[in-house]
Amino acid sequence: MTQLNDLADLARPLPVERSFSKPFWDATREKRLMLQYDRIAGAYQFYPRPTSIHTGRASNLEWREVSGRGRIFSYTIARRARPPFAGHEPFWLALVTLEEGVNIMANIVGCAEARMAIGLPVKPHWAPLSDGRHLLLFEPAG
Amino acid sequence: MALHDAAIIAYGETKIVPVSDRDVWALSADILEQILDRSGFETGEIDGLILSASMTGAGNPFWSQTTADYLGLELDFCQSVDIGGSSPLGAVARAAAAIDAGLASTVLCLYADTAVAETNARGRAYNQEWTAPLGSLGPPVAFGLLTRYYEAHHGLDYSALAKLAVTQREHALLNDLACEKLRKPITVEDYLQSRMIADPVRLLDSVMPCDGASGLLVTGRRTAEKRGLTRCAVPVGYGERTHLGAAEPVVDPTVTGHRVAGRKCFAQAGMTPADIAAFHPYDDFIIAIMMQMEMLGFCAHGQGSAFIRETGFRFDGDLPLNTGGGQISAGQAGLAGGGTNLIEAVRQLFGEGGARQVKDRRNALVTGIGGIPYGRNWSTSAAMILTSAG
Repeated sequence: MTQLNDLADLARPLPVERSFSKPFWDATREKRLMLQYDRIAGAYQFYPRPTSIHTGRASNLEWREVSGRGRIFSYTIARRARPPFAGHEPFWLALVTLEEGVNIMANIVGCAEARMAIGLPVKPHWAPLSDGRHLLLFEPAG
Repeated sequence: MALHDAAIIAYGETKIVPVSDRDVWALSADILEQILDRSGFETGEIDGLILSASMTGAGNPFWSQTTADYLGLELDFCQSVDIGGSSPLGAVARAAAAIDAGLASTVLCLYADTAVAETNARGRAYNQEWTAPLGSLGPPVAFGLLTRYYEAHHGLDYSALAKLAVTQREHALLNDLACEKLRKPITVEDYLQSRMIADPVRLLDSVMPCDGASGLLVTGRRTAEKRGLTRCAVPVGYGERTHLGAAEPVVDPTVTGHRVAGRKCFAQAGMTPADIAAFHPYDDFIIAIMMQMEMLGFCAHGQGSAFIRETGFRFDGDLPLNTGGGQISAGQAGLAGGGTNLIEAVRQLFGEGGARQVKDRRNALVTGIGGIPYGRNWSTSAAMILTSAG
């Protein structure tokens, strides 16, 4: 079995922040997960967009806090990466489907290779960034 | 619009190399000269230019103008197409539309990129915010996620994928313009044993980034006839879909835009997959070929492995596949790479396939794939049927 890296002490590149994604990043400072919600369509979306992908109207959007619980949608093991990740392979990259019905890409931490599976329940794991924000990762939920 | 009123009358292609020591404009000039030689046209008769996106040209928002000036072209119409690997095929459809609309009469479609030697791209995209901080390499990771999902939901026979890789490699051995580094035979076992890049995507699933150029000359069919150019390829069907399911937050990544693009393309051509004589699908990863077979209707969704096992894909087989080796065995000439399989289709329709000439050259189906979006499969799917007779 491959030993996978949790990338815990890695100085990650800081995510660029857009004017319309600021509420998401501000909430990560307190390790809270906020998603855009279209109150007319009754549906969430991720990643944050300048408008609703459901109705095309930014005025229909609001931010809602969610638990971040979800399940693995699919996963891969990154065996090659660019700096600063080069030399830290292999590590997990996965798509997680939240209970709210959106897919989020993330590294999975604390998960042995034998445990990984599509459908595996996961919960948020907030990795600190150098500027006080946190990066949303996931770990097995139970 | 009458797509079939246009005709491809000449093509040009450079050797594909791991890194070019010639400037991207020198490669472009090479293509222009090949096309003038083969078509009998003078530069003054070319009044339209459509470029495919180029990593080398990225950052210059005047790319088609600048390139036209370097080539000494005076034009009524010029533009760049920026739908990633679908750009070369999309350029042909746009050339036909421009001719039909009277914007131009003869259009040079030029695909040149030296992405390895000189990339100037700084993508303003979701990557900077949502995937770069995770260490994603981009395409291999996207296809790793996609392949794992496919395997879990439909089952996947990796020896079937190996068969595609081996067949394309055999074709590259017959193609002098394919990247030399890749012109070594491989076996099914080599494929299965090749190292993982993003599990379950292997090295031999993946394209090798290279440099190179190609191009086509498109004119009105009547013009071609008047000049006695009987050797031509006529586009008879085209479909293009960008962001299938754009309004859905979670999509099945094994369903692609080729389902709708293909339906439109076949309907326009008045054909079905059973009528297709040769198949030249865009290949960035081997599984993309299989997924396109499913989405374009050669077999049912999820039945790709079985279809591959039952079908012969050599140039002399049931359904000749990427007879120049495809990008995976000829090398991916950056964002111009979509031109490789397109030019091979035209070469075959012209009857100039040499040692790898297909027997039935009535028609060919060519496709494009372009762009890797967040958490889906790919951004643009394109499909075009070309006929040798019209």
